[in-house]
Amino acid sequence: MNSLTTKKLKKSLVSTEFFVLVLIVLLAVFIEMQSGLFFTNNNLVDLLRSMIVPSIFALCAYLGFISTGPDVSFPLIAALSSYIATQFVVITGFQGSIAIVFLVAIAVGLVLGSINGFIIAKYNFPSLIVTLGTSTIFSGILLGAFEASRMELPATMADFGRQSLLAVTNAKAGIGSSLPMTFLIFVGLYIIVYFVLNHTMAGRGVFAVGGDETSAERAGFNVKLIRFGVFTVSGAIAAIAGVCYTVESLYYLPTEFAGEEMIVIAAVILGGTRLMGGVGTLKGTILGTLLITIVTNSLILVGIPVYWQKFFIGAIIIIGTAISVIQSHNLFKSKKSKDSKGLQNSEVVINETAQKQ
Amino acid sequence: MSENILSVKGVHKSFGGVHALKGVDLTIKKGEVHCLAGENGCGKSTIIKVISGVHKPDSGEVELNGKKYTSITPSEAIEAGVQIIYQDFSVFPNLTVMENLAINKALASKKKFINKKEFRRIAEEAVNKINFKVDLDALVEDLPVADKQLIAISRALLADAKLIIMDEPTTTLTKTEVKRLFEIIEDLKEQGVTILFVSHKLDEVYEICDSITIFRNGENVLSCQVSEMDDEKFAYYMTGRKFDSQNIKQNAKAGDSILEVKNLSAPGFDNVNFNLRKGEVLGISGQLGSGRTELSLALFGLLKPYEGSIVVDGKEVNITSPAKAQELGIALVPEDRLTEGLFLSQSIKRNINVTKLDELSSKLGVMNITALTDESKGWVKNIGVKTKDHEYPVQTLSGGNQQKVVLARWLATNPNVLILNAPTVGVDIGAKHDIHTLLRNLANEGRGIIVVSDDVKELVDVCDRVMVMQQGKIINEIASGDLNADMLSQYI
Ligand SMILES: Nc1ncnc2c1ncn2[C@@H]1O[C@H](COP(=O)(O)OP(=O)(O)O)[C@@H](O)[C@H]1O
Ligand SMILES: [Mg+2]
Repeated sequence: MNSLTTKKLKKSLVSTEFFVLVLIVLLAVFIEMQSGLFFTNNNLVDLLRSMIVPSIFALCAYLGFISTGPDVSFPLIAALSSYIATQFVVITGFQGSIAIVFLVAIAVGLVLGSINGFIIAKYNFPSLIVTLGTSTIFSGILLGAFEASRMELPATMADFGRQSLLAVTNAKAGIGSSLPMTFLIFVGLYIIVYFVLNHTMAGRGVFAVGGDETSAERAGFNVKLIRFGVFTVSGAIAAIAGVCYTVESLYYLPTEFAGEEMIVIAAVILGGTRLMGGVGTLKGTILGTLLITIVTNSLILVGIPVYWQKFFIGAIIIIGTAISVIQSHNLFKSKKSKDSKGLQNSEVVINETAQKQ
Repeated sequence: MSENILSVKGVHKSFGGVHALKGVDLTIKKGEVHCLAGENGCGKSTIIKVISGVHKPDSGEVELNGKKYTSITPSEAIEAGVQIIYQDFSVFPNLTVMENLAINKALASKKKFINKKEFRRIAEEAVNKINFKVDLDALVEDLPVADKQLIAISRALLADAKLIIMDEPTTTLTKTEVKRLFEIIEDLKEQGVTILFVSHKLDEVYEICDSITIFRNGENVLSCQVSEMDDEKFAYYMTGRKFDSQNIKQNAKAGDSILEVKNLSAPGFDNVNFNLRKGEVLGISGQLGSGRTELSLALFGLLKPYEGSIVVDGKEVNITSPAKAQELGIALVPEDRLTEGLFLSQSIKRNINVTKLDELSSKLGVMNITALTDESKGWVKNIGVKTKDHEYPVQTLSGGNQQKVVLARWLATNPNVLILNAPTVGVDIGAKHDIHTLLRNLANEGRGIIVVSDDVKELVDVCDRVMVMQQGKIINEIASGDLNADMLSQYI
């Protein structure tokens, strides 16, 4: 029992999530010491608020990675589906439930996502190329065919955006912050995705396909259907993120979305999700997103100018990646010695020298 | 009831222009361990895939348990009790042992939700079938290869396997692991499971199999009891060639000393002395961890000795790096060609020339393409790499031919002393014989050759004398006249 707990402890000590958590704490303490403003109620609420959309986007990136590979199309799926949902409300003068607005967006997202899924699953093309292509097409449709531009939101949507779950005011500074209702959507989505991935055969299939496609096929998983499903669902999730973003900002701006993918992917990778598929946790995804959100949101509190944030994000990504590389390297070493072929390490040296020559 | 569990008749299978199976028959009796042998590319994996329903045969029939199928589907094969242990084991590296064991069964029973308790119960049942001790919560990617294989085997047993087909199960295992696998096979046999064991190693066939079928070029050329088998017959039917291993040592003639090692000590070995002469092939053997590999590394400048001296061509030298070793005319062919040195996706030509680029380029570093082409063509021909063209990527070659490319690369540096670490591991008989002959020829040209190996037959066939190492010390030296497999085996 004792050895088991120490083993578990060791495991959590070396896990990427743990490193990210340490970074978050260090950063928070640093900001608090410098400014005294980090652990204030309004800053914490602000952080949660700022996390909502990136965290939902992170689900899309995460699902792509664990099943297949990089997906960069979610920002434009979000842009296009929330545009169509908003237009639907504007044109029809729809006054009913916000849920219907979400459903319209989700329907569009499902269609757009299924296009990705179809091409990737059927033709086995690399997901990066496919999603890069489709997102360019979606962008063309949005800005070219629809000539989308800035829109004020119709009342149904704006009202939902103004509703708050929690409002706080910082007594000292007199600044208020509120947590929008979309926070519940974010939490709900994570619970659903967690349940599906961990407690259903389909969810385990996603990991199986990402871990070893051939093995999955031999075991009897429908690899193509799983990939198709993942990208289709991911389209729906992106659409939800799109509507959340739109209602939170109280207007629609088509150009706000593109470019978001890089930072989201960085957050997901930082959280320990593997580029080659099959490995990654939702916990890590959340932590990675939180870290990046703190950097973009709170560094300003210590007077670090906005353009330096990019510098910090870049640095954190490189450090984060370096940590996981070092870890897998260590793992590699210990694995080799477990095989009691202690010599292999020295033989790796031969290989390296042979290549240098 | 028929006494044959499997009977394949007249199966043809082509892939595009490649006629992989040319009307093969294969009959396996219930309860036996049957070996399917043959050189790389002769169609072993293809027939397995026909039996398991992965490939549809162009013609011919498969009969399982007395039931005939013209083209069997994967699920029919599983229902009939056929389970395959693939060469790559078909496991999920990113999932736990428990999930790997239970997921197929859960999938087969069309479950929608995961029940962790049920999974654990299934997994425990599976590992208990072969008495396999493993942490069910460990990730499979963290396990050694042998354990991955055992996972595949216990998973197969869960599906009520009646015929387990193992595709070259021993290639990636250490000796102890092979022993354990054989114990499990014996145990399965006792439980009434029939085994089709694919291998091209004769000693394994003797040890574990009851009968054998040999394929050559997509045809079955021999089926018999293992008791009727011998080395010569095995090699002949596998390759269609007759080998005379006695003959290759005929012209052996040792000359002056070319490499002398005096009181050499380094991490891993202690106080080693030997003298290698021109024209001589010296074997160094011993178990894993006996110091044999370290010794070869020290001679190539990859391990720093803390005591003793090395004399090359009469001059005492200090080999501080591989570059220095090469300068002195020493080359080392590393053990694992796949991870150590071959660029699999690159052409044979590039792989051969990689050690020669400096020499065959102008001062400014521009490559002399004609010279490079000539060089590589020459080697492909000289050492008999079987390929249509030296521009083909190395991965299109069989294991033996890949090994020849590694050899060619180092030979291209024209070494006086050539050290080879396990030169024919995973190489089939024909290519093995070719490589041995090549080594003898190189020795006859006046080079000194060191073969580090634990393959007894190889040492006997190719070496003039063999030093046996144990725990970092040379414990015995056996000279040519006394060299035979039985006495060498005692030490290894
Ligand atoms: N899927 C495939 N497509 C094309 N050629 C194949 C395929 N599978 C096997 N072959 C060819 O069929 C021949 C037999 O291969 P295989 O059965 O794998 O041999 P082995 O006896 O080494 O297992 C080889 O020439 C191989 O290149
Ligand atoms: Mg094969």
